This record gives sequence, C-alpha cells and structure tokens, in this order.
Amino acid sequence: MTLVVRVTGLSATAGDAVLVDGVSFEVVAGEVTALVGVSGSGKTTSALALLGEHGDGVRLAGRVEVAGQLVVDGNGVTAAASTVRGRVVAYMPQHPGSALNPARRIGTTLQELAKLHDGDPREAVRAAQLPGDRATLKRFPHQFSGGQRQRVALAQTLTCRPKVLVLDEPSTGLDSITRLQLVHELRELAATGLGILLLSHDLDLVRALASRVVVLDAGQVIATDVLPPAPDLETAGTSAAGQPLLTAMNLSASLRPRGRDVVLHEADLAVRAGACLGVVGRSGSGKTTLARCLAGLHERYTGTILLDDEPLPVLRKRTRDQHRRVQYVWQEVRGSFDERRPVDQQVARTAQRLRGLTPDQAHAEAVAILARLGVAAITAARPPSRLSGGELQRAALARAVLANPDVLICDEITTALDDHGTALVLDLLTELKDRGTALIWIGHDLRLVAAVADRVLVLDAGRVVEQGPPATITTEPHHELTRRLVTAARIGDPHSPPVLTTDSRSEPRR
Amino acid sequence: MRSYAAQRAGLAIVQLAVLSVLVFVLTSLLPGDAADLRFTETLTPSQVAALRAELGLDQPPVERFVHWLGNVVTGDLGTSLISGGPVADIVRNSIGATLVLTLATLAIVVPLAVALGIVMGTRENGRVDRTITSITLALSAIPDFVIAVVLVAVFSLKLGWLPATWIGGNLLSSPALLILPIAVLFGRTVCLLSRQVRAGTVAALNAEYVTQARRLGVPRRQLLLRHVLPNAAVPGVQELARTGDTLLGGVLVVEAIFAIPGFATALVDGVETRDIPTVQGLTLVLAIAALLINLAADLVCNRLVPRTEALR
Repeated sequence: MTLVVRVTGLSATAGDAVLVDGVSFEVVAGEVTALVGVSGSGKTTSALALLGEHGDGVRLAGRVEVAGQLVVDGNGVTAAASTVRGRVVAYMPQHPGSALNPARRIGTTLQELAKLHDGDPREAVRAAQLPGDRATLKRFPHQFSGGQRQRVALAQTLTCRPKVLVLDEPSTGLDSITRLQLVHELRELAATGLGILLLSHDLDLVRALASRVVVLDAGQVIATDVLPPAPDLETAGTSAAGQPLLTAMNLSASLRPRGRDVVLHEADLAVRAGACLGVVGRSGSGKTTLARCLAGLHERYTGTILLDDEPLPVLRKRTRDQHRRVQYVWQEVRGSFDERRPVDQQVARTAQRLRGLTPDQAHAEAVAILARLGVAAITAARPPSRLSGGELQRAALARAVLANPDVLICDEITTALDDHGTALVLDLLTELKDRGTALIWIGHDLRLVAAVADRVLVLDAGRVVEQGPPATITTEPHHELTRRLVTAARIGDPHSPPVLTTDSRSEPRR
Repeated sequence: MRSYAAQRAGLAIVQLAVLSVLVFVLTSLLPGDAADLRFTETLTPSQVAALRAELGLDQPPVERFVHWLGNVVTGDLGTSLISGGPVADIVRNSIGATLVLTLATLAIVVPLAVALGIVMGTRENGRVDRTITSITLALSAIPDFVIAVVLVAVFSLKLGWLPATWIGGNLLSSPALLILPIAVLFGRTVCLLSRQVRAGTVAALNAEYVTQARRLGVPRRQLLLRHVLPNAAVPGVQELARTGDTLLGGVLVVEAIFAIPGFATALVDGVETRDIPTVQGLTLVLAIAALLINLAADLVCNRLVPRTEALR
C-alpha cells in the first residue's frame, strides 16, 4: 500500500470566510478515495489544493503532501507546487469536454503534454479507449461527440502519466448505462496503480467504486468511511381513475422540415389527472423531443395532442389559459433565466402573468415554494449567476409550479441535485399529484422513475419499445434496452456487480 | 457535407451579384448626368439629346445594366465620359498610391497592435493595461483630420522636417512622403485593433481549456503562444478585415490633406463630374476588394479555430 496523497488539517480562507476547515484525507495507489458532499461543501477547493491551486484571495494552510513532495505547508503554497501539476496530479474538471482547446488538433496537445512529462500518447489514447489512428489524432475537439470529448480529456490527463487522478463529478450528465461503463473504466484505471480521488454527490457511483470515503459538509469532514443513507423513495401511489387529461396519438417528430431526420416515431401516450407517466431512455432516444412536442416548443411534428379532448396547438398559438395549464421544466435551465434580474422575481413572474396575481402576492408564493425546495430567500434574491446548478434547477421547477399547471412536464430535473434535494423535489411533486396535477417525468435513471411514476414508457431510438406499470417493467423487462437500464439502475448495489462489455457510447460526429 | 471554404466562397459569389446590381442602381440615382454637366452652356437642348444618345444615356436602365455587366465580366469597365480614356486606366493610376499607403500602414499597425493587445490582455486591469487602454481610447476618439492638421503644423511647417504634401514622384522611392500620412492612419487603426486583440486574449485566458492546460503543467510561455494566441487572434483578424476596408476606401481625408492622387480622390472627382462609368468602375473594384478581404478573414478565422463546419 503506497500512500500517494496525504492531506492533514487543510484549511482555505478568504478574508473572514472559511471555505475549508481542517480537512484530512489520504489517497492510496491503486484505490479510489471519494470526497462526498453537496455542492459548495468544499470538495473542489480541497482537491485543487493538491495542485497548489486556489481562487483569488483564498489562502491555503495546513499540510498537503503529494508523492513525497510538500505542496502546501503552514505558510501556504510551496514552490514545489508547480512541479506536480500534470506530472504527479492530473485533474479532470466537471465538464471535461469544454476543457479542450477548440483551436488545436487533439494529437498536437497530446504530443505537447507527452514531451513535457515524458508520457506516451499512444498508451494514453488506448487507456482512454479512443481509436489511436492518425485520422483521429488529427481531428479537432468539435469533431467528437460529447462522450468522446470526455475520453479525449481523459487521454490528455493520462498522457501526463500522473500518480494521482482527480475526477470532479465525472458522472454529471451521463445516462445510467454510460455511467455503468464509467464505473468499469475507473476500476481498470485504478488497477493500473493510479490513485484516484473522486469528487461526487452521486452516492451510487461512490458506493460502486470507493474504498475510502470522506464526507464533507460546509468545509468540514463530518464522517469518514460511512456513506449517508440514501433517502427512501416513496412507492408509487395508486393511479387515479378517470378520463385521460393529456393524450398524444401517433406522434412523430422530425428535426428538419418536411419530415426529414425523424427523431420520434408514432408515439402514443395518455396521462390522467393525478397520475404520473415516466419516460425513460438513453440520451438521444427522443425523450426531450417528446417533451418539447407536448410543451408546444417543437413544431415539426405530425399526430394529435389533446388536452381535455381539445386539440392543443403549438406554444405560440396557445391561449393564456393553455399556457398556464401545461408547464415544462427542462434540464439545462441556466439559459432560461435573465442574467440581470434576481431569480425570485423571475420565478414570481409566472404567477403574475398567468394567474393575474399582484407582484407582492406572487413574490410571497415564489419565496414559499423556493424555501420548500431548499432554496433560501436570501439565495433566491441573487442573480442567476450566483446560484448553483442545483439551486437553479429547483428555481425553474418553482417557476413552473407557480402557474398552477394541470400538466407538468419534468425533463431530467434532478440531474444536478443531491439526494436531499431530490427528496424535496419529489415531496412537492407528490403533493401536486394529490391535488390532481398530471405529471410527465422524464429521466434516464429507471430506479428513480419507477419510484415516481404510475406507468413507465421506454423509448429507444425514437420508438416506444415497452410500456407498463413500473413493477412489471423492472421485474420482467421484455426489451433489451429495458433490461440494460434495469441492470444499470443497480450500480450502487454491492451484491450484484453489473457487467457490460461493449462500448455503446455514441459515434463521433462527422 | 461541403467544406466551409466552398460554402463561404459560394456565398461570396451571391454577394458579388447583389453588389453589382447595387453599384449600378445607386450610381444611376445620382442627379443629372454627364451630358447635362458638360454641355449646358455651349449646346442647344437638341444637341444635348444627341450626345446623350451617343453616350447611351437614353437607354432604359435594365438594358444599360445588362450592357454594363456584360462589359465588366469581359474585363471592360467602360470609358470615362470626361477624359475619354478607359476607366480601367483610371483605376490603375489611382490604386497604386492607395495600396502603398494601406500596406505600409498595416505593416506597422499589425505587429504593434498584436503586441500591445497581448501585453494588455495578460495584465487585465493592471496599471499597464489601464494606461494603454486609456491612451488608445483617447487617440481613437480624435478625428483623422485634426491629427493630420496638427502633425503638418508641427513637423512640416514649424520644424520643416517632412514634406507636407505630395509633390509628384514615386511614393515608394521617397519614403519621407509617406511618414505623415501613415502617422495619421496609424493612430486610429492601432487603437481599434489592439483593443480587439486585448479582448480576445482576456477571453481566451479565462477559458476553461487554458485553465486545464495550466493544471496539466504547460508552462506559461508555451501556454500563451500555443493555447491562447490562436483563439485570441480571431476577433483581431475580423477587426483587421474591417480596418483593411476602411483604409482602402476611407483614406479620403488623408489623401485630400496630403494631396495624394489615390483611389478616394479619383472617386470623389468622378462623382463631382457625374462621370458615371468611372464611379461605377471604382466602386465595383472597391467593393470586390472588401468582399475578398472579408472572405480571406473568415477563412483564416476558420483555420485558426475551426468550430464552424457549416454556415448557419
């Protein structure tokens, strides 16, 4: 057992604010250490200290030792820090795809790093499971798909031949099958003798990988080697009887005019008041297009969409009441907020516009719902750039809920949330269901969908391949994809190690 | 999928077609024609009409356009109504001085602006950055003719070091003639260009990919030259194209003050004498030059940062 990282009593202070307070952890070669905690708990600050890196005006103190070199001591960052970057510690940021220089061929950067750190680009490319031919190396980052860009970034870090690999939220935005592959790949990397430091709020991933766990909260270690328990997901309620509220028949959607590039083929669905329809599938299976059709945002579709037996037109032709009745919350919410206005005002605006409340009434309701979702009033009074991704996601949900919708479409709205946040969201949605709101819940995590929905619809390549009650889907899956989703939903379960061999990540773009 | 270059070139051809129509229509809108201007005092109205017929000015506009375009495509820009010589000769005689002026200015401006931009960008909001930014902002706010008049007053009239006006002779063989005009053109262009390079450098330095390269241990010098510069150059190249356009067409003030017989001077003379073929020829040449410069800039940018595979 070789210790490659030893952090003792690390603290980070910015003026009077204490960001990290007396954090200690170790990373051992060939094993995975996980730093767990909600966003803002000091995970990234602690991990970047291994590189001797800190934000403007932040002071590091304590003791950080990396492969025998002292990077941080009582006086702050040492001179040796610059020698460990890349060569000893390599850091993979949260969205590694955007960490690739758009102006450089990937091979050029790999060669450059290899020269700096005596690495071997070929070996790194192979370990990152990229094709190593000349044509691939001559491509620019934009010519790779999202998944492959992550691999390119991984190849870059491996070319440096580090002893420690830091992975910051590596499972963000991955569908559950790809996440399963990630687990295998990280295990393989660790088996080559690399010490891995995993920063994550994804407890399933941590359970599957880590041999040491350090739980952070507000900059302090609150537990080691024990994971906080996963919250109990409520079991599905009985589905309410009655007429379907929202129906879609024979729905096909295409990306280009006149039915070219079809992404959704003849889907049928119905959801009753007070019921929840779950939609699952991998990324690119047409889930979001389906949601956008129902929300009226995607106009290139054929088929019928009925709300209370009346045709529901596209968004710009809807009446104000129809606007109110169908609300849509999507995954990437940052772009849907005005950067210059406080978030609470923007959330309250829905109630003013669609329900005719006065600004004061609307604001009071907005603050109440936000607080219920765990976003404090003082946080919500800031502009969107000052909120975390998870807080904004919840604000977007609150914004839709304030309309008092009859149909609420939730498209992957818990991807940036930790378990606690997810539980708060589910609690609110259960109450809405009880009040008679019809929910359409879109997700890739079958476990969560099965817990929320009364009926589950499985999409693959734009077609409905299976649908039924969640209990049937999870216990007797018929379709191949459903079986894989069921397996992937179990990655946190230590008793049934999932096995998946073929690389099914998306093909590179031309 | 067709390559970006092919699509961009295709677009340029469409632009060229639209442009030739615009040039023709707009110049036709000029009030009065050459026949009016030349002959009112000496000729009777019937003689004017005869001349107009001889010059082809009485034909319908569409026919005149087709005739003109046909000639232009075969390389014949027409005949000047005033001098009687081919318009191509006027272009050839006037473009030399303008080209010399433009290229000489750019040769000084480009390296200086890039250097200044990088110096400012890497010291964002530092003392050096704020000083240079203030100076360039002030300089770019002063009109060309003010700078020109001041420079002439000081260096030509007071100190007598440099000639104030062009006194004939070859611009290339007597560089002293060029110093003052270039100094005037230099001020504004270097300011605008360096500010764009600065903005590009700041944006690239703050980009995630530069942070990541730094974290992987790429040394600072290498980081600036190989990771930051190609990205930082993009807004600079676009601004350079705009500067090129301005210099070719807009050095009128400088040409007028220093009496340099350049392109802008010829164009203004043509407009004043209602010499429509000359105006059309000169405008067309200028427009094509602008088109080519912008085409080149777009292709260079796509080569630097090949993000756009297709035009949207």
